[in-house]
Amino acid sequence: MNFNFKHEWIETNIGLMSVLTMLAISVGGLVEIAPLFFIDETIEKVEGVRPYTPLEQRGRDIYTREGCYTCHSQMIRPFRDEKLRYGHYSLAAESQYDHPFQWGSKRTGPDLARVGGKYSNEWHVQHLVAPRSMVPESVMPNYPWLLSTPLDISDTTNRMKALRKVGVPYSLSQPEYDANVKQFGETVARQLHIPDAQENLVEQANFGNYDGDPSGISEMDALVAYLQVLGTMVDFSKYTDDAFVEYR
Amino acid sequence: MEWLMWFSKPENTKPLALIIFFVTFIGIVIYVYGSNKRSAKLESYRDIPFLDDQPGDQDGTKDKQ
Amino acid sequence: MAVTSYSGAEQYNFDIVKKFAVMSLVWAVVGMFVGVYIASELAWPFLNFDSPYFSFGRFRPVHTTSVIFGFGGSALFATSYYVVQRTCQTRLISDGMASFTFWGWMAIIVLADISYVLGYTQAREYAEMEWPIDILIEVVWVTYLILFVGTIMRRKQPHIYVANWFYLAFILATALLHTFNNLAMPIDLFSMKSYSLFSGTQDAMVQWWYGHNAVGFFLTAAFLGMMYYFVPKQAGRPIYSYRLSIVHFWALSFMYMWVGAHHLHWTALPDWTSSLAAAFSILLLMPSWGGMINGIMTLSGAWDKLRTDPVMRFMIVALSFYGMSTFEGPMMSLKEVNALSHYTDWTVGHVHSGALGWVAMISFGSLYHMMPKLWDTKIYSNKLVEVHFWLATIGIVLYIVAMWISGITQGLMWRAFDEFGNLQYSFVESVVAMMPFYAMRAIGGMFFLAGTMLMTYNMFMTIRQGKRESAALDARLAAKMAHA
Repeated sequence: MNFNFKHEWIETNIGLMSVLTMLAISVGGLVEIAPLFFIDETIEKVEGVRPYTPLEQRGRDIYTREGCYTCHSQMIRPFRDEKLRYGHYSLAAESQYDHPFQWGSKRTGPDLARVGGKYSNEWHVQHLVAPRSMVPESVMPNYPWLLSTPLDISDTTNRMKALRKVGVPYSLSQPEYDANVKQFGETVARQLHIPDAQENLVEQANFGNYDGDPSGISEMDALVAYLQVLGTMVDFSKYTDDAFVEYR
Repeated sequence: MEWLMWFSKPENTKPLALIIFFVTFIGIVIYVYGSNKRSAKLESYRDIPFLDDQPGDQDGTKDKQ
Repeated sequence: MAVTSYSGAEQYNFDIVKKFAVMSLVWAVVGMFVGVYIASELAWPFLNFDSPYFSFGRFRPVHTTSVIFGFGGSALFATSYYVVQRTCQTRLISDGMASFTFWGWMAIIVLADISYVLGYTQAREYAEMEWPIDILIEVVWVTYLILFVGTIMRRKQPHIYVANWFYLAFILATALLHTFNNLAMPIDLFSMKSYSLFSGTQDAMVQWWYGHNAVGFFLTAAFLGMMYYFVPKQAGRPIYSYRLSIVHFWALSFMYMWVGAHHLHWTALPDWTSSLAAAFSILLLMPSWGGMINGIMTLSGAWDKLRTDPVMRFMIVALSFYGMSTFEGPMMSLKEVNALSHYTDWTVGHVHSGALGWVAMISFGSLYHMMPKLWDTKIYSNKLVEVHFWLATIGIVLYIVAMWISGITQGLMWRAFDEFGNLQYSFVESVVAMMPFYAMRAIGGMFFLAGTMLMTYNMFMTIRQGKRESAALDARLAAKMAHA
């Protein structure tokens, strides 16, 4: 401090103070966030994780709209009890197409990261309409309007286009489609093709009949389709227990 | 330019960053508390909130002085 | 310093301070009422009434937005405009810009609350506003920054008082956080719906960098600014140590931004990030406690004020809760503790010991100090301030004790094994165990809300009294002029 520094310089110069404050508050974020976009070890390389089909994505939109994340997490931690209760711990790769992430911060209800396939469609529908008819002690709100509200599919392609712009590999052109065939296989690639989105959505909803009512496509169809795919994309029997440790 | 590669390794930059930040912190503390004269000057800024005291402010707040 | 008018009405723009101060009380009542309501929904789920509009998931952001940005935000606008004018001894540079920040900010809270209820949300905690509202926030915030910095540039006092540094850090940090956390792609120019630019792990990191620093700068640094002005003013003695405040400021500004990732322990976020965040969380205890000591020690030599002055008591209890929750926070950021506490009500309790104990109490204290001065009168009833203090304190204690018990119980039940190595409890058994504590929490909230309503009444009467007095004064003056 030989050059006769004075804190008064900062205290009497709002410009200098702003710059130094900005500097002080920027370092932490830069150091912690920037590497996540460049370091290879952030996201595991696993097979099976794919973007959501149009119907599943619409279901996810309803999941976020209703604020499910305020009570349910989607992030299983590597503990023995969580493995027994929910299944294999969550991988970064499994939420790589999630805009926004829905890991959550509170478990008023159980974790949903691997709820897919655990219950039947009928159970989900009944449970969403009247949770206490299935679990008497539950404190979850009833969601009857999901069953009675038809799903708005008019902006499906717009939604997928927006997701494509932020990095989800939905295809618009033939080369993009071909790349998806290579990466995900033909069945999946067809679901990711934006020009056919609306058709694909209707087809999946009619075929799956998630809400038990074949007459139309309700918001319940979409939400249950989403819940049933959660955590089912990676086949963990193909990997050893410590396959993902280096990414942690 | 070989020496630049040294900075690309977290094993090297982590302790380096720690040293830089720690030295800065110690520097600030020494600067702030180091000299009696400077201390007295810095403490004189404590009174800024009272410089624009208005007649009404005296009621009830400064009764002890 | 020569002062021309008693109320400072010509020298300073107090009109904008009054508006924000009143609205901060209005949003406090609204936000805390919704808080009590959603707390009751968890205890008595029939209160969701099968309605999309009042279901917990959509209603919870209404609570958080109304209290953080409505109540807290308005209190910060009010006090920052008041403090910057009085410590720089100059008027805000533009009445028009000040007015714009008021109407803009009110529009933001109202639009946000309505849009959540209708189902428009980014589903990012504490940043649920969809993109059009985010843009409005950006515009209002930049105006606020220009107004604040511009006023400092015009100051008559050569030094910028420490309270203003904290307000400045809060404004800058909030601008930075808000901008990056809300980067999103709208699905259509005429649609409210958007998708965030980031996904998965990166999105989680950005969100909690925002989330925790909203706590760090919106709910801490800014309220420390409040503390650095109003505690000395109410105590009638200068801050304990100006040198400590220099160290406090730089250490806090630098360290807070590192700690967000402690919300993501044991997740798919790479371990080094959350461990680094935990290390900084522990270090952060030092500047936090430095600030607390600086505030509390301001009263040294005048401890009797704690007995005689209920407003002072609000401030000192606020600082005590600040000290307590800044100890609890680093502890919860330890990986082993976090393994138990994360996802449980303990986190909720921790947030509220900070939000009710620190943020709300220091705001109440500052408003009780400032509002009578703004309307040029005395507090309508000191007795009611006293009652408010006890209602609030009892409410907080009920709330956080309930959440400690329920949080730790949840954590222990989830990880309990029976003698055969199976899980001892099903999830719903832990839900059942929570019920008495959810009820207790709701009751604690009701106490706190009742106190806030009492304060609103007290301040309403204070304003009326101030207006009457100045009308009487005007009438006397007019009579004198007529006779002259």
